[in-house]
Amino acid sequence: MADIRIEHVRKSYGALTVLHDFDLTIEDGEFVVFVGPSGCGKSTMLKILAGLENATSGRILIGGEDVTDRAPGDRDIAMVFQNYALYPHLTVRGNMGFGLKMRGVPASEIDRRVNDAARLLGVDHLLDRRPKQLSGGQRQRVALGRAIVREPRAYLMDEPLSNLDAKLRVQMRAEISALHQRLNVTTVYVTHDQTEAMTMANRIVIMRDGTIQQIADPETMFYKPANLFVASFIGSPGMNLLSAKPKVDESGAAVELFGTRVPLPVDPARVNGHNLALGLRPEHLTLAGGPASVTVTPTLVESLGSEKYIYVSLPEENRLSADEVSDGRRSEQFIVRLPEAGAIRASEPLTLYFDPARIHLFDPASGAAII
Amino acid sequence: MRRTPLQSLALYGAVIVICGILVFPIYWLFITALSQPDALRAMPPKFWPEHPNWGIFAEVLNDKPLLLWLKNSVLAALGAVGLSMVVSIPAGYALSRFRLRGGESLGLVILTSKMLPATLLVIPLFVIFRQLGLLGSLWSVILAHATLIVPFSTWMLKGYFDTIPQELEQAAMVDGCSPIGAMIRVVLPVSAPGLAATALYGFVLSWADYAYARTFLTSAQQNWTLNLGITTMRGEYISNWAIISAACVLATIPVLFIYLFLERYLVGGMTAGSEK
Repeated sequence: MADIRIEHVRKSYGALTVLHDFDLTIEDGEFVVFVGPSGCGKSTMLKILAGLENATSGRILIGGEDVTDRAPGDRDIAMVFQNYALYPHLTVRGNMGFGLKMRGVPASEIDRRVNDAARLLGVDHLLDRRPKQLSGGQRQRVALGRAIVREPRAYLMDEPLSNLDAKLRVQMRAEISALHQRLNVTTVYVTHDQTEAMTMANRIVIMRDGTIQQIADPETMFYKPANLFVASFIGSPGMNLLSAKPKVDESGAAVELFGTRVPLPVDPARVNGHNLALGLRPEHLTLAGGPASVTVTPTLVESLGSEKYIYVSLPEENRLSADEVSDGRRSEQFIVRLPEAGAIRASEPLTLYFDPARIHLFDPASGAAII
Repeated sequence: MRRTPLQSLALYGAVIVICGILVFPIYWLFITALSQPDALRAMPPKFWPEHPNWGIFAEVLNDKPLLLWLKNSVLAALGAVGLSMVVSIPAGYALSRFRLRGGESLGLVILTSKMLPATLLVIPLFVIFRQLGLLGSLWSVILAHATLIVPFSTWMLKGYFDTIPQELEQAAMVDGCSPIGAMIRVVLPVSAPGLAATALYGFVLSWADYAYARTFLTSAQQNWTLNLGITTMRGEYISNWAIISAACVLATIPVLFIYLFLERYLVGGMTAGSEK
């Protein structure tokens, strides 16, 4: 087990820079998730950590040792790949023991460790099968087993669940979390799925265009997003983002939402005269009880059984431009997530309550959070 | 989508006709070997001789140094294939995996060399082999065949390596292999079907050669290959087609066995199961 220090790592392909000054310390035993949309550089950073890609500049330290120029096999890390990358010509036993064999571990010790890991992952009855004879979930377990038997200082996982169906993904997600709690080995996990990041991570590193947007634990990431991108990326559905121009009077700052005046929990001097991006999470609106309320007309109601998603078209004056929000469609719609909501129909007016203290404010130009 | 009975009938009919067209020359070669010389000109032709001469095969083996020629052909083909694979495997792998400066152009140059007719290379190769003192030696044929096999086999292998996910090598490297170790321990075993197909292609190319053997080996009878030897069995005025056909039938046997041996590799999808 070891801590990992990534010091000012930059990666360029010619004129194209895919990682800008990535700087992070991962504590011993921590489970850190790199999350972000496709092309944000998260997998590149993982490959640099593994030694499969060279950094253009910067250093990687594992357990205090500078491994920047070491070969992947000399870093004492194990990696789980998105497509499993099981050796098709070897049995499960051969796959799991391959890394130990390469390191000259005696056959009896390989056997013991493979059997232990296989039992832990429930694949001990599959040891003599080849990868093509396994289901997707079994292959994923074998890929995990191949990492575990090595007893490395850190695990690197590159979207290991993205090829599984939704049900199995949830199950494996829990299994990996349980495995981490049991083994307590430093783990760096890459995913584009914010739900995986939120449920598994001790800390999340959210990335966009090769730049770290925020490093925080899941709660902080959800309740105190550093910028508009983080706010819209984290949460399912993401945060509602609206354009608003505060008016300041003797009672304080307030904005007009859906034709209703809503007070803002912010020092009026900070927002006076500025255009703002206002954020409100879909789950922070309710059908009853709250200091502020707006009346809306749903355009669509989706029922998921235990909860309903209410879609409301935003008034023109509350829409942000497509440049200001990463997902253009979200600039036109406002989504409310209501548990146990009863009968709600589209086109019928609906009053929604919320606490203005839940409102997030961002500078629409820089995207940075104001509160 | 299920086929209708009519579609199935048409499909099987087409398959039978095509197979018939492909197999008939081999069948006729076999019939010619077993027939008496005068029966070959009979009209209408007989599709099975009245008195098949099964002893013809023993006769040709006794009369002609067929086994020596066979040995030479096998050595030439194995040598050429072995040499070609030693060159083509790293070349194809490098073209597939590494972003080389001018790599695309290099690949095209290699492929273009395959477009040159074999006869174009005969004279320069003859001059080179004469200077090296290799004329009459089996090495001349091995090297000449390798010049034909290497360009195309490099491209075949590059294409095959392209289909193998790079994550397999990356996993092997994380597991402790060097890049070359990952290629040898993981990529090559997984590439068995591609290697088999490429080796077979090279073997057949070498086995079927006549021009190079005729040019480089004419003066050294002890090194004649099967094709060269068989052509000398044709007389100036009279040719015993039964004997020649029997020799040809025997010449096809090694290739047939190699096809049978490599079939499982050719059709096997070795990478099945490595990914999702």
